[in-house]
Amino acid sequence: MSLLRVENVDKSYGDEEVLHDVSFEMDRQDVEVIVGPSGSGKSTMLRCVNRLTEIDDGAIYLDDEEIHGIDENDLRRRVGMVFQDFNLFAHRTARGNVTLGLTEVLGLSKEEAQAKADDYLGRVGLAEQADSYPAELSGGQKQRVGIARALAMDPELILFDEPTSALDPELIGEVLEVMRDLAEGGMTMLCVTHEMGFARSAASTLTFLDEGRIVERGPPEQLFDTPEHDRTRQFLGELTDLH
Amino acid sequence: MESVFLQAGDWAFIASNGSYLLVGTIVTVLLTVTSLGLGFLAGFPAGAIEVYGSGRLEDIVSTVGVVLRGTPIVVLIFLFHFGLPIPDLGDIQWLDIQLSTFVAATLALGLRSAAYQGQVFRGAIQSIDEGQMEAARSVGMTRLQAIRRVVFPQALRRSVPGFQNEFTIVLKDTSVAFAIGLAELLTRAENLYLQPGRGTAAMEVIITISAIYFVLTFTTNRSLDRLEDVYATPGGNE
Repeated sequence: MSLLRVENVDKSYGDEEVLHDVSFEMDRQDVEVIVGPSGSGKSTMLRCVNRLTEIDDGAIYLDDEEIHGIDENDLRRRVGMVFQDFNLFAHRTARGNVTLGLTEVLGLSKEEAQAKADDYLGRVGLAEQADSYPAELSGGQKQRVGIARALAMDPELILFDEPTSALDPELIGEVLEVMRDLAEGGMTMLCVTHEMGFARSAASTLTFLDEGRIVERGPPEQLFDTPEHDRTRQFLGELTDLH
Repeated sequence: MESVFLQAGDWAFIASNGSYLLVGTIVTVLLTVTSLGLGFLAGFPAGAIEVYGSGRLEDIVSTVGVVLRGTPIVVLIFLFHFGLPIPDLGDIQWLDIQLSTFVAATLALGLRSAAYQGQVFRGAIQSIDEGQMEAARSVGMTRLQAIRRVVFPQALRRSVPGFQNEFTIVLKDTSVAFAIGLAELLTRAENLYLQPGRGTAAMEVIITISAIYFVLTFTTNRSLDRLEDVYATPGGNE
């Protein structure tokens, strides 16, 4: 039984069709990487899964339950999200960023939340920075706090929305390393990213989205080495050259 | 009346009435505190309603704000003093004021301040990046939790400079309570130089209370600067 099932999803902003008849499934422990040109609907697809954006038509199932039948806050507790711009709570320390959801949403005591936060900050290599505020951290550190914040909620699935796109090149590696560790640890991950190295080595499935439609989907080596569509070959070729 | 010539005798007169002016200063400070307090209690929710509210409530709040901001403060103070059926609440003997007059002045200054403080908070809330709300919602917090725990704490910090302005304005505008006979600093100053034969002290008295107003605004602004530093998020905001 698949953990996430997206069925015939349509989404438009006004006259602009962003997603058209998108369907795919993910099992537990899958790492799905979505690639596609800017404006292809990748981020919108992710945001539909935790209902930061609502779909117009179709259905999305989490663990066989249609997500619109789940309380939206429960859904978001079960589906974590990591943002391109980090969106760390600017007034809270790294630890405070992780504890907020634990105390407010999971109802943990302050002590329990702090212990858990320190544990997860340690896992992303930020034990030393627990007391630092976002503005005192580098981009790569911020994003690792963002990942710890999502992880600490014990989600069934984590959405990564271009997690390295806002980073300086030399900071990308530390974030990808954390993501690789997560993938190897069995975390189910749905990632929008342009990091082709990560896609090739960590993804169980690669999806190429263009103009709101899935052009091609399959194991990464298949899309990289023997794509069915010229458009896929062209796009992945350009990305691989760039990175 | 040779009031332009600052005379030693007039300064001595003021010195001998120091405690008289001190009581006026206390009334001025009290009126500032009650007015700003009312302004905060009413202004903070008003600002939040203007951002997050909808329909009738938001319409009412924003209309009341426009009316309050668009009415001269002396007119407001007359309206509240003569227009409202405030019962006689007795006197505060040692300050020599009528409580009902003080209440009318607090309402006028406080509600007008609320209308301005509301705008300060509204602007501060709107300046918080939308991503903060999304991040809070994405861990499963309700909209209310996100507003209370993520947006408000940041917005309050950003409100301090605007609040500082408002403090200075309200403190100085307590002097309009003069118009309804509340014995605050300006009223007491006038009482001094209107005494028979003391007309020559007018300039000295006015200079003295100007200095008092200045010391009050200066020290409070410095204190608020300090408060801003203490509560500032290390490294600044994102």
